[in-house]
Amino acid sequence: MRKVVYILFLTVLATSAQTKMSATEANTLKNTVKALSEKTETITSDFIQYKHLDFLSNDIKSEGKLAFKSPNVVKWEYVKPFAYSVLFKDEKLFINDNGNKSDMDMGSNKIFKQLNQLITASIKGDMFDSSEFDVLYFKNDTNSEVHFTPTDEKFSEFIKVFHINFNNKGEVQEVKMIEPSDDYTQIIFSNRKTNKPLSDEVFAQ
Amino acid sequence: MRYLLSSILLILCFSCASYPKKNGFTATNSKKATITNPYFSNTAKDYVYKANIDAFGSSFGGIFIVKKLGQNHHRIVFTTEIGNKIFDFTFKGDDFKVNHILKKLDKKILINVLKNDFKVLIKEKLLVEKGFQQDLNSIYKTQISNKNYYHFVSEEKLHKVIRINNRKEKVVFTFSEIENNIANEIQISHQNINLKILLKAL
Repeated sequence: MRKVVYILFLTVLATSAQTKMSATEANTLKNTVKALSEKTETITSDFIQYKHLDFLSNDIKSEGKLAFKSPNVVKWEYVKPFAYSVLFKDEKLFINDNGNKSDMDMGSNKIFKQLNQLITASIKGDMFDSSEFDVLYFKNDTNSEVHFTPTDEKFSEFIKVFHINFNNKGEVQEVKMIEPSDDYTQIIFSNRKTNKPLSDEVFAQ
Repeated sequence: MRYLLSSILLILCFSCASYPKKNGFTATNSKKATITNPYFSNTAKDYVYKANIDAFGSSFGGIFIVKKLGQNHHRIVFTTEIGNKIFDFTFKGDDFKVNHILKKLDKKILINVLKNDFKVLIKEKLLVEKGFQQDLNSIYKTQISNKNYYHFVSEEKLHKVIRINNRKEKVVFTFSEIENNIANEIQISHQNINLKILLKAL
């Protein structure tokens, strides 16, 4: 009996942290994100990335900046502890690895492209209906969390599921990419500024 | 004629001289039975490097991670900057396991090259077969996975390892910016194939 109570208690605890959204709630979230994205021309944001590998003592931390310009120009720039940037522009991927420039990359290319698509889409709000992902909606006290499971077999070799966290304004707070091995990359955004004019220089390679 | 013959002989002899002889190493009566590579020996430490790899005309970067999990037990993972795994290997004793590798890199030849190279990075205790001296270097002939190596030590620091096959240098490993048993810069340079790996500690 004690065991049953314990399990019940645990279940309640687990579900109170995060519950599945109703269809109405999911629709409200979709509309909030969509309405925000329609008003969004540019975004700049800082980010902190934690790479979690189960066998390491500590997560690997790196920091950088994100710049976005509607409809689909995105620049990811790592600043610490190394200098590395990736720019998506005109359907191309430009890499600047501490001064070494290239427009080709092995392995990461597809990931970045999909991530770019996901970030861009989550800003625009039209990915919820994408056929490339199975989508599940959750909520906790203040935020919404949406899980995107890639349907493409090739892509699921890299990523088992994406978790994207939205605040109540519909802004992306956090992205978590979980690999098939359950190791993950967590990216937390901060200092977000929208519709600040961005010069072309920001997106120059 | 005799002169010509002897010069041919001399040239022949020179070219067939052993690697140490060719490079002017002096044999020593070193009593050292083993030498130690300390660079990935601390289980409490996560070894994380920014990697740049030049391979067969293309160049790419990533994060190179080494973790010692126990005696003769290491995990080596290479990821993109954003964190997605490119390969993930386990070395345990003489066993080697590929936990993950991108499908397009899943080639036996490539995996073998990487396996042999990384084994040199993590192999801690090495049996000395012969000892030599050259300038300030103490040089130790060793074997790792049945391949011949020379380990170069100066000022008590291991700073170079060379793989030799048929008296020729095949792969040169250099360890530099060394402090507290950490090599902050490591270079693996293949002489017979177009592959160079540069690691810088983060």
